Parts: sequence; structure tokens; C-alpha cells
Amino acid sequence: MAQGARVQDPQPATVGEAAVQWYERRFGEENPEWTAILQRNAERLARGQFSLHWLDTSQANWGRRAKPSSRGLTYTDVNNVKGYGEIPAVADWRNFTARGSVREPYRHEMPVLDDYTVVDRDEVWADNVITLYEEAKARQWNATRDIPWSELAPLPDDLEKATSQLCTFLTEVEFVAGDFPAKWMYRIPQDFLEVKSFLATQIMDEARHQEVFRKRAIAGGGLLHAGAGFEWALKAILDAPTHTMGTFLLNLLGEGLVLSIFRSGEMIAKTHVDKEIFRRCLQDEARHVSYGVMEFKWWLDHHPNRAQGIEEMHRFSDVGELVILSSFTEPALVEPIAVLLGGGLDKIDQGMEGMAKLWSMFIDEYLQRCARAGFDRRERCKIPLQAPWGQA
Amino acid sequence: MAAGAVAVATAPVPFPSLEWFRRLADLMNANRARQEQLGYVDCTAQFTVAGARPFAVQVTFEEFAVTDVRLVDDEARADFVLEAPLAAWRTMIESIRRGGGRPALDQTLNRLSHFDSPIRVRSDDVLRKDLYFRYNQSLQEFVNASAAFETVFPD
Repeated sequence: MAQGARVQDPQPATVGEAAVQWYERRFGEENPEWTAILQRNAERLARGQFSLHWLDTSQANWGRRAKPSSRGLTYTDVNNVKGYGEIPAVADWRNFTARGSVREPYRHEMPVLDDYTVVDRDEVWADNVITLYEEAKARQWNATRDIPWSELAPLPDDLEKATSQLCTFLTEVEFVAGDFPAKWMYRIPQDFLEVKSFLATQIMDEARHQEVFRKRAIAGGGLLHAGAGFEWALKAILDAPTHTMGTFLLNLLGEGLVLSIFRSGEMIAKTHVDKEIFRRCLQDEARHVSYGVMEFKWWLDHHPNRAQGIEEMHRFSDVGELVILSSFTEPALVEPIAVLLGGGLDKIDQGMEGMAKLWSMFIDEYLQRCARAGFDRRERCKIPLQAPWGQA
Repeated sequence: MAAGAVAVATAPVPFPSLEWFRRLADLMNANRARQEQLGYVDCTAQFTVAGARPFAVQVTFEEFAVTDVRLVDDEARADFVLEAPLAAWRTMIESIRRGGGRPALDQTLNRLSHFDSPIRVRSDDVLRKDLYFRYNQSLQEFVNASAAFETVFPD
């Protein structure tokens, strides 16, 4: 039996005295290098001397000025300047130094951040990541201000509950799409700054989605039921063994599914408030899907043994798709959408017919996205191509 | 009236026509502040009226503006095609006009296209098709601007 999700007696692993002792050791006997730097600097200041070594541009890319394009100064504009735009295949600077800065002379004194483990460009890069980052910044919106909340009017009880349940589901799932990139973002070295920047926008997007659906539910009636099936799907995403595998499961499959749900949400919305919410959210979600497809494509295209890479992804997908399916079949998701599609609890059967169409559309789009990345999943897909109801 | 729809007294504009889409483009370009709120739009959308008298126009969006409106000479230029019979376009446009720039719940672009009927969204490339979703709010406001002028339809 699975351990209960609620921690009965929370006890952080390191607290108080133990934590402070660990920190003292960490920056004391284990890593004393910084004290030499401090001493050197303090002595120089005491002597009243300046270093001014930073004025030496002999090893810098100094004077090659970036020029703005019509949109302003984008990462692309900056990367066009020689010395700044070369993305290393393997990041060997596992610290915070800026790509293109003068850093080699200081390497021997610098710390290595053990958490920066994703040093392979092909595990994170996508051809569209800079475009998506610029677009994400330009298309931010505000869940407090940009939704016409004052127009929200009560719905009939069954539709209000269905809307609130759908929003409860979305509140539950949205933060994994923030937690997953957050989990990996801090493992990605600074040399892949464009990827880290994009992931930061995805985290912001997902925070806003969680916010807007929580607000919608509570403004309309209240949060309703959590679902165990959702939780296992989310755990499968978070526990994915590599960034590419998890991005495939989250951005390409999971967010592709949520994009379909958002489009359906806009379609079945019973108020202009809900229309606006879903329309705004689906735009963000489509960006995340686009990164997922192109990151996967880059990974496959640069894999040293493509056939092996594809087979590994098939094995991963064999599990991942089925776990995601546990979410997609939860009554707390399927039934409220069917009620909204049908137009009421008494029309849930009609709604299920609509759900069956949505199912087929979603799977077809998922398989198209896989194919676009170079991954033919059609013959091995574990999710039924047709909805598993009404076929008995 | 929804943001983006500017009330301007003009002569009726026929739909479908190049002029009708150019009028929408002018309205969008005149309202840059709203586009800057909504964010970049970078795509070429094709609007196709299917039926006995087919009509197709491509609208190119770049950054915060429409940069080109043309009759279709090369469908591959379009990232995605929105195709519907005249009656469906007419119902949507009339709904937008009645709503002062905001269509009825069942007359939004996404609502009409979600099940590929009456508006069918097609593209050869799923990523280019996804642009329709990435810019959906902007595209909705683009057509919502038709509330600002009277549209006339063929008998």
C-alpha cells in the first residue's frame, strides 16, 4: 500500500544546530579556497591599491557591439556578436560565469557546482528556444487584471460544479509544469542561458495558470475533488530520469493533452470570463508544447546512436503514456468535461460522445507531434487511438 | 465594446473581399498599444471561404502589426488555413457586430474550429498549426475588430 501523501510528523532531514554545523563545515574545512581570495582582497584594500585588471580587454570580446533589431535587443541579436553566441556542445563551466566573459584566468580558483549536471547541450537545446523565450515575455498576461472577473455570474449548479471540478483538476496539474522545469533548471549550467531563460518563463506561465484556475474555482463555488490518477501522472513526469525524457512526457504529451483541454474549455465555456481564461492559457501551453517537440527533435537529430535513442524513448513512452492515461481516464476529469460539453448533468451521455471525438483528436495530434520530432509512435502507442467507452 | 474594436463610421465593406481583411489590418495597425499588450504575432494565416464561389486571403502578422494582406497565390506560404463556408463566417461576423466586438459564446474562432466544423483548421505541419493556438487571443481580436464597420454579404 502506498504511503499516505500527508506527512504525519514532519521532520526536516537537517534542522537547527545540525544544519548550521553542516554549513560551517562546507565553507570551512571542506572548501577553504574562498578565504584566500578574501584575504588577498582585504590586503589590497588595506594597502590602498587598485587592481584594475578588469580594464584589460585583451582576452575579451570587447567593442563588438550588439545592435538591436526591430523588436529591441533580443538574445538572437546578442548571439550574432562574435564570441557570445557559440553554444558549447558540452558545458564545462559548472559555475555562474557568463558565456563570453573573460573567465579562463580565474578557472583554477572557482568553485564547481555539483548540482550542474546537465552539461550536454543536446539534452536541453531546441532550435526555437530563443524565439519562444522572446514570445513568452511579450505575451505575458496577468490573472488578476486581464480577466474580466467582475462579469462572472453564477451558473446552474451542475455546470458550476463541473467548471469548478475542471478548474480543481487544472490547479492540481499546473504546478508540475512549473516544478519539472524548476527541478532541471538549476541543474543546467549558465552556458545554456537561453534554455534556462525559457524554462523560467514556463515556470511563470504555470504559476499563472495555477493561480487563474484556483481563483476561478473559488470565485465560482469552490475547489472540488483531487484525483489519485492525476497525482501518479504528475509523479511520473517529475521522476523522469532525464531532462529530455521528462520534457517529452510533460511538454509534448502532457501539455499537448492540457492544450486540448484548454481548447475544449474555451469551447464549452459558459461565460466570457471562462472563455478569456482558457484562451489566454492555451496560448501559453502551445509555446510549451512547441519547445517539447523541438527539444526532442534536436535530441534525436544529435543522438550518437539514433536507433538506440529511439528505442530508449519507446521503452520510456511505453510506461509514461500509460501513467498519463491514468489521469486522462479519471472521472474527476472526464465527467465534468462531458457535463460541460453536453450542457448539463442530464446530457452527460451526449457529452461523452463529444469527449470521444476529443480523445481521437488529442491522440492524433500527439502522434503528429511525435512524428514531427522524428519519432514514429503510431504503431507502439499505448494510449488507445479511440476512446475506450461506447465500444463494448 | 471589446478592446481592439475601434468605432469608425465607414461605408459597408463586402465580405469576403480583400478590402474587408485590409480594413481589419488597418484597425489592428492603428491600435498598436493593444497589440503591445497582447504580444508578438508572427504567422501567416489564411482565411478561406469554401463553397460555390471560393475565396482565400492570406494575412501576414509580424510583431505587432499586419504587414501583408493578399489573395492566395501560394497556399504553402500560410502557416495554417482557417476554412469555412460563407454561412459560418457570416454568422460569426454578425455575432461580433451584435456584441460590439465580442462574439457570442458559441461564435469564437476556437469554438467554431475545435471540432473542425464549421471552421476547419489545416496545415501540413503540426508545429505551424500550433501557431493558431499560440496567437489565438490576437487572432480573435483581429476578427473582433470587424465590429467597427458594417459588413455586407452576397445574396
